Amino acid sequence: MQRAIEAVGIPTVIVAALPPVVRQAGTPRAVAPLVPMGANAGAPHDIEMQTAICRDSLKQLEILESPGKIVPLPYEYHAAI
Amino acid sequence: MSLTVIKGLQSEIFVPITPPPVWAPVTKPLSEMIVGLATAAGVHRKDDKRFNLAGDFGWRQVDSDSKPEELMVSHGGYDNSDVNKDINCMFPYERLKELAEEGFIKGVAEHNVGFMGGGGNIQKFTDETGPEIAEFFKEQGVDAVLMTAG
Repeated sequence: MQRAIEAVGIPTVIVAALPPVVRQAGTPRAVAPLVPMGANAGAPHDIEMQTAICRDSLKQLEILESPGKIVPLPYEYHAAI
Repeated sequence: MSLTVIKGLQSEIFVPITPPPVWAPVTKPLSEMIVGLATAAGVHRKDDKRFNLAGDFGWRQVDSDSKPEELMVSHGGYDNSDVNKDINCMFPYERLKELAEEGFIKGVAEHNVGFMGGGGNIQKFTDETGPEIAEFFKEQGVDAVLMTAG
């Protein structure tokens, strides 16, 4: 999906909970906070974390210069299961 | 000496191949970008058709002016409990709208996209759903797309 959007000329960045999966799928730009699948953009109702993840993800659009990079983000959330 | 003993011999072990790179260059600063949001987390409007949990290559339009309580998730592939508490966990459209208000980005796309990733008919996703969604964003004049899931 990400690749299809890039293919029409729109840059993208994906917030990934499973970095090896997006690497295998050929992601052009990805970020990886330490989050579970189900809360990729941060803990529920944690506006500060969600905003930071969105902001830092988008910043990578201006930073990354070549495809295939997965940038770790310094945010951590463990879902209580 | 040639290392090939038998020509055309193929491994019986399936080896996944990473596709060739794609890359859309960034041509403007974030403060001038309209940002769209696409999630594979199965987000859609409550009054829209649910995804088939066994596999669904369709996609749903999710408008930025929706209220959080108008949205829901149908996805059988991950623990939905966090996203049921707060849709922004996977579809952080309220955070993007705040970032637009403060001027970090120019705006949020009016119409965004939810689909159900993590399986389904990959060929349909690659050949049909992906290009459809890409065109959907392009027609809106979206400058960049933030994605979640994966």
